[in-house]
Amino acid sequence: MDRNQIIKWLKAPAKMGHKYSLHAIYFCTGCGIIEVPPVITARWDAERFGVIPVATPRQANLFLITGYVSVKTLKAIIRTYEQMPSPKFTVGFGSCPINGGMYWDSYNTIKRLDKYIPIDGWIAGCMPRPEAIFVAVTHLWTLIDKDMADGYKRYRSNYHLYRANQEQLFGELEWPPLFPLEDQVEQIA
Amino acid sequence: MRIVEVILAPILALLIGMFFLGLARKIMARIHWRYGPPITQPVIDVIRLFSQKSVSHGNMFTLGVLFSLACSLVLILFLPMGKICPLSSSGGMLVILYVMLLAPFGIALSGGEAANPNASIGISRKLTLALGYEVPLLVILLAVMTHYKTLSIVNIVSMQQNTSWALTSLPLFLSGIAYILILPAILGIRPFEITQAAQEISSGPMVEYGGSFLALATIQHGLNLFIGIALFVNLFLGGAGNPPIFFLKMLVVFVLGLFINAALPRLRIEQAMRYLWRWPTLIAFIGMIIVLIIRR
Ligand code: SF4
Repeated sequence: MDRNQIIKWLKAPAKMGHKYSLHAIYFCTGCGIIEVPPVITARWDAERFGVIPVATPRQANLFLITGYVSVKTLKAIIRTYEQMPSPKFTVGFGSCPINGGMYWDSYNTIKRLDKYIPIDGWIAGCMPRPEAIFVAVTHLWTLIDKDMADGYKRYRSNYHLYRANQEQLFGELEWPPLFPLEDQVEQIA
Repeated sequence: MRIVEVILAPILALLIGMFFLGLARKIMARIHWRYGPPITQPVIDVIRLFSQKSVSHGNMFTLGVLFSLACSLVLILFLPMGKICPLSSSGGMLVILYVMLLAPFGIALSGGEAANPNASIGISRKLTLALGYEVPLLVILLAVMTHYKTLSIVNIVSMQQNTSWALTSLPLFLSGIAYILILPAILGIRPFEITQAAQEISSGPMVEYGGSFLALATIQHGLNLFIGIALFVNLFLGGAGNPPIFFLKMLVVFVLGLFINAALPRLRIEQAMRYLWRWPTLIAFIGMIIVLIIRR
């Protein structure tokens, strides 16, 4: 740790804490998950960067979506995302969550994950090397430093749009909205 | 002077506990041939957790964590560390006997409020495990009390410093061995890491903890490590004349415990109970009988 960092720690301890303690929850949806075990174990050792896997969404603040998202798993992904406590970051891993990847014409996968939950960063590639996760982590650090990793804020302010997209895909959702929706806000006011 | 000690002791214990957590992660990483996180990593995690939005699942959820943390802090006030012994006058051992069971109970109450099935499995495992190690622990403490004819840990420490460590003296040797055998269960490290098994029950009672609740639970875990080891050092390794030596002894015991943690796989709960109620209890009973015979 150099002297620069000490000043940063004193100025914004919460931000620095978020940078250096990214507890990740993985969603083993697609083939991308096969790259995660080498990343967290002895070969690439993500714990050096403070990235460790945790078992439940409540303890996590980094959500890695590894690979294609089928319509059925999207439901679970949304619910997991909504359960994570508030400053939370999402990273889409592989080209499938970006634009469908090689499943671009599949009837059963999501083409753009960004329409349903906010994503802070993408890792392109099919599949990306484990090193790409570290590149993503260091990019995420810069984004957190500049307050640009604001997916959770976007989710809050545009919740009615995200919810509309989700409802368009699933029909009625069986869970109540996380934040008050626009029309309900108007009703209260 | 006493007030300064009352404030100083928990802070010291907190620092040592956090240091132990960090050291555990670093040493485990080195055993895996990894580089490992910086040693301050648990502190960073706790800062991060406190700054996160936390979801409470009800009053008992909040109070249970605080209750268990308070129990650990009370225990620390009754444990002499070197020359620092804030509240340990005559009956320290009795307080420890009673309060030691309450700390897991607080976590159990709080995790139960979350009504998560994983949490209930974790809680039942945690309380069963506590039942498992309390039986030999009671017998061991009884043997120590009978041998030194006192309830005060301060007196026990000073008597050991006049003669020799209890672990190396004949009548208490077996009790010491029994304590070593149950120490991993008290600390909750690997052969007995059954309550927090991240891979099978998603970290057990902690499953619904997030934000500052998880931070408090982490701190409580650090204090729990401190208490289990400090009790062992005080009762069997002769305590110490001054705090640095005391902490050095604790460090040695903890690092040895970490090697056990790295080498052994996790037991199932009924295997753990069978082990805890067989060997440590048997050895503790034999130790107790030897103490009684010698006292005659
Ligand atoms: S990007 Fe490639 S490797 Fe990743 S999930 Fe899609 S098809 Fe599989």
